[in-house]
This record gives sequence, structure tokens and C-alpha cells, in this order.
Amino acid sequence: MFAHIFFYRFKCLIRDKQLVFWTLLFPILLGTFFYMAFSNLNDEESFHPIHAAVVPSGNSHYDASFVEVLRSVSKGKNRLFTMKTAASQAEADRWLKAGKIDGYFSSGETIQLTVNESGLNQSIMKSFVDQYRTNSAAVAQIAKDNPNALQNGLLQDLSDRRSYVKEVSGSGAEPNNVLNYFYVLIAMACLYGSFWGSKEIMDIQADQTERAARINTAPIHKLKAFIAGSLAALLILFTEILILLAYLRFGLKIDFGPRAGFVVLTALLGSILGISFGAFISAVVKAGEGLKIACLIFVTMAGSFLSGMMYQNMKYIVSQHVPLLSWLNPVNLLTDAFYALYYYDNLYRFALNAGMMVLFIIVFCAGTYLIIRRRKYARL
Amino acid sequence: MIHVKNLLKRYGDLVALDHLSLDIKEGEIFGLLGPNGSGKSTAINCILSLLSFDKGEIEIFGKKMTPDAYESKRNIGIVMQNVAVFDELTVYENIDYFCGLYVHDKSERKRLVEEAIDFVELGNFKKFHPKKLSGGLLRRLNIACGIAHRPKLIILDEPTVAVDPQSRNKILEGIARLNKQGATIVYTSHYMEEVEQLCSRIAILDKGRVIASGTQEELKAMITLGEKITIEAFSINEQELQQLRELPGVLSVQWIEKRLVIKSGKKAGSLEAVLDFLKTHEIGFGRIYSELPTLNDVFLEITGKQLRD
Repeated sequence: MFAHIFFYRFKCLIRDKQLVFWTLLFPILLGTFFYMAFSNLNDEESFHPIHAAVVPSGNSHYDASFVEVLRSVSKGKNRLFTMKTAASQAEADRWLKAGKIDGYFSSGETIQLTVNESGLNQSIMKSFVDQYRTNSAAVAQIAKDNPNALQNGLLQDLSDRRSYVKEVSGSGAEPNNVLNYFYVLIAMACLYGSFWGSKEIMDIQADQTERAARINTAPIHKLKAFIAGSLAALLILFTEILILLAYLRFGLKIDFGPRAGFVVLTALLGSILGISFGAFISAVVKAGEGLKIACLIFVTMAGSFLSGMMYQNMKYIVSQHVPLLSWLNPVNLLTDAFYALYYYDNLYRFALNAGMMVLFIIVFCAGTYLIIRRRKYARL
Repeated sequence: MIHVKNLLKRYGDLVALDHLSLDIKEGEIFGLLGPNGSGKSTAINCILSLLSFDKGEIEIFGKKMTPDAYESKRNIGIVMQNVAVFDELTVYENIDYFCGLYVHDKSERKRLVEEAIDFVELGNFKKFHPKKLSGGLLRRLNIACGIAHRPKLIILDEPTVAVDPQSRNKILEGIARLNKQGATIVYTSHYMEEVEQLCSRIAILDKGRVIASGTQEELKAMITLGEKITIEAFSINEQELQQLRELPGVLSVQWIEKRLVIKSGKKAGSLEAVLDFLKTHEIGFGRIYSELPTLNDVFLEITGKQLRD
């Protein structure tokens, strides 16, 4: 009997094209859209070397040290400049006019910077010149006052620049600004699974559909029928979420960190959470199917918004100002669980999110049970 | 087979079933006849233990009916008023699904499903989805889903609503065949013609009460009307109408659009007396019809309103 109901519920659900679209194809399409929209976001935020030129003054006394410094910051992967040497100021002007360089340095007793617009690159060039001048003046003064200091590595110390703040991930993963969008997307897809849960309730509560009333006249315990149907829904939703994960991971190369097993476990928890949430809302809202679906969409979309789907900083604004809402938002719990798996070395934060999800699942299942255990209805 | 005693069901202040009592015997086709809102479906839903009720007793197969009376439920087939099938499943799958809620053995179920498909003549539509079926075919599918497991008791709640006459006849013939095969039938309708054609015993419901019950003959015997005579007459004056009303056995006379509608009592000879009167008074007339009372007349005389009001 259980297998019979499971088999037919599976057929019913998998043939519901609308539900399959919203729970599988829509997240895939949205993921593809996100990928196209955000794929260059990290690149654009990273630093690109400044195209610059130097015009030697012809005086080797001044040129040698300045050109040497320029050369040292124009080497390697993290170089500051892509440096060219102009034969004359006229040539440098032509490059500047043609937009081939952002500015050029003129060597000499007084180093000059020529730019034809203001911007970040130009400011950096200006800072560089200022710093060179300051250091040169400092070295000249020290050489004059205490020549021995130059022997003791002072030059090395003056040229050394250290950043005492570094952004690192506990798991060794690179910080990535766009991942959150994809994690919210998966969470949203899980919560769209609430449509499946709602459908199960609609087909088991005699006061909701004629089909449900018909099933209630059969010699079967309605909870047994509900569990069989819900397991069929879970199998479909979990498979859909795995397909979505596979598409994001292997198709769009979205990084989920090294813990694949935990990612799949989170997807399973999210699927259970989505179905139990839909069943609970559908059991609580005593209205037509349209209103139930509207409630589910509202909660899912509001949850996705607060988790940063439309504006990434919203997630941090909420967690900073209304932390309770972060913990009560199932979309955020899922998003955060995925991010914790990606970003943190230990599982503490993931466990907190997973624990909250399990708590929600228990509340939703218990609430649904209390409502649907009723065997007779006051009105149909 | 079904015993209902003093069933009281209220929806707030509205009394839907007012101390309803029914006794339905094995092997009969029992009709529940009443206008829309008379309480037929409410009574059925209470009998099936879907609806709670305020007072009363319900027994089926000699046992108290409860939501978990699975042994009783196993022998009940229900055809709901509205079509209750899954759009995502084919005709065959729908019948197999509902049959499988009662019959666990696969090969047995396969045979029963095929028989049900033959019974409702949907053999050519096995792989069709419900959305591709006409209203009549859908109703037949609905019936097949309710009867495939060969129940001893079949409850049909207005199964012919919005069905074309051809499909309706097929449905009624099918129900009669199910009864001949041994099933007890409970049939609710507000179509008196169907109930007259099909049912061996009838209970007439109004405002949640059984206002009359018995065989058709017993019901018709309860009223004073014996015959309804309709005569196409050319003209008649008020004085002659009054004289007609005073003829022995005549209950009422109406002159409607050049037709005399005369209702007479059960005593024989009214038609002869009326015809003699028309000849004597040289009143020209055309065709004459004589009809025996219908269940609508029974309902009309008891409640003062038409069944379809």
C-alpha cells in the first residue's frame, strides 16, 4: 500500500510541469543569469597594473635611482605599473593623448607627474611620487646626519611596505563576493520545494480538495498516505537540488569548498526543510490553493531578499541590526550553511545553521501533524 | 446495510441535517431525492465519516462507522459529486491508483481495473489524461475509480450533474447493472426522473429532514393527486371553469395558454366526467394527455414547492 501510494504520488508530482519548472528549470535559468551578470565582478574588483611611462631627464644621477625604483614596482604578478620608457616628453605626451598610458613621470631633480585626467590610477601615481620624494628626502637627511645608519639596512627598511591586515579564509578558499548569490539561489530552490509539500497537504486534507475527500474514504490511514506522498516529493526535490548543484559546480564552476559530503547533506536538509515548510503553511492557511501559493512565494522571496539575493549587503545588514531575523529566516540558514562550508575551516558555524534547520523541520512537522491528524471535518 | 438514526448536523445556526433517520437494506437501490441544499451530500459525508455531526448514530454493515473503520471502508465504493481524479495520471493509472487503495494483490488489481474500464466503456481512452476527456467520459472515469474494487456498497453522489443525455443513460444503465451484480446502491440526485427510473426505494429530503420515504408507489399513494389531465381547448369562460372545478373528483383546474390543466383525485372516472362536460357545453378541444403523479408532485404536495425551486 505504502509503495503503491509512493509510486503514484511520484508519478503525479513529476508530471506536474509547472512545479518542475519552478523548482528546477527556474533556478537553473536564474543561476545562468547570475553567472553571466556576476562572472566579471571579482575581476573588476581586483587591481590591474597602471599603464605609465617615464621620461628620463638625461641626468644619470637622478635617473638611475628613480628608474630603478620604478622598475622594481613594475615586475611580477602583483606589479604596480606596466612601465614604458619614452624617448622624449613629446612621445610620452602622444601616448597620454592616445590613452595608452594613464600618466608619465619626468625624472630629474624634481620628479614631475603628468596626467590629463583625475582618477584612481592617477591618484595612485601621485601617491607613489609623493612617497618617493619623502623617502628620498629621508635617506638624504639620514646620509647627512648619520651615514652609518645606511650600512645597517635602513634603505631596506624604508622600502619595505607591509600590510598588517590580510583577508583570508579559514578553509583556504579565496574570498569570493559573488558566491553568496548562488548560495541564496540554492536556498530559494529548496524553499520552492514548499510547493510540493503544499500539494501533498491539498491532496490529503478532505476539506481542501475533492480528491483528498475521496482518499479519506479509502481504508488507509491518512498520515501513512501523507508520509508516502511526502517521501515521493522529497525524492524529486532532492534530485532536483542535486542537479542544480551539479550544474553550478561543474557547469558554471561555482566553488562549494572541499566538503562535498556536507554540501549534499545541506541540500538534503534544505529539501526536507522546504517540503515540511510548504506542508505546514498549507495546513495552517485555511484558504484556496492560490492564497497558499502566494504565502509560500512571499515567504521564500522575502527570505531570499533578506539573505542577499537582490542586494548582497542586505544579509550583513540584517545579521548586524536584526540578528534574530537571520536565525529565523530559513533561506538565510541554508545560505549561511553553504557559505560556512566554503569559507570556514571548522564546522561550528555550519553546525549552528544545520541545527536551526533541524529545529525548524521538527516544528513544521509537529505543527503539520497536529493539524492533519484530525480525522473528521466540521465542513467540507 | 446502512442504519442512520436521529442524525443532527449544524453549520453554526443552520441546521443541515435535522434528526435524519434512514435504513438502507442490502441489495436495493436507494434514492436520496431532494432539491439543492436539502442535505443529501451532507448526509453522505456524515455516513462516510468525513464530516463530524452533533448527534445521532451511523452504522454500516452492522458496525459503527468511524474514520478508521477500515474493514467497512474496504467494502464501500464512493463516487463523489465533483470529479475526483488526478490530472497528471492517465485513465488507467487513475483507476489503478484508487483500486490499489483497497486491493493489494497486483494481478487481482489488474483484472479489476480492466473490468472497470470495460464496464464504463473507456477502453479506447486508457492512456488519455483526464483533461483530454469530455464531461461525460470524465464522469464515467469518476465512477470507474469508485467501483473498480467491487465494493458491496456503492454511494453515488449526484453522478450525472452536467452530463449529456447519452452519457447519463449509460451511467444509469451501468448503475442498474452493478446492482444486478449484487451491489447495494445509494444514489443521491435532484433529478426525479433518474430516481424514478433507477431506485427501488426513495427518501425525499427537504431542509435536512426526510419528508417522505418508501417505494415510488408508496410515495405516490401518500398524496391526494391521482391523475393530471391536460386538454388543448379552443376557449372556455370563467363560469365554465368554475363548473369544471365543481365536478366530482376534480381537485384543481387551471387555464394556461389555451390548455386546461385538471388535477383529479385517486377515484376513477374523472376523465370521462370532464369529457362529458366539454361535449355538453360544446367546448371544442384538441389533444388530451393524462399523466400519473410524479415524485415532483409528491414533493410539491408535501412541501408546497417544486423539486427544482
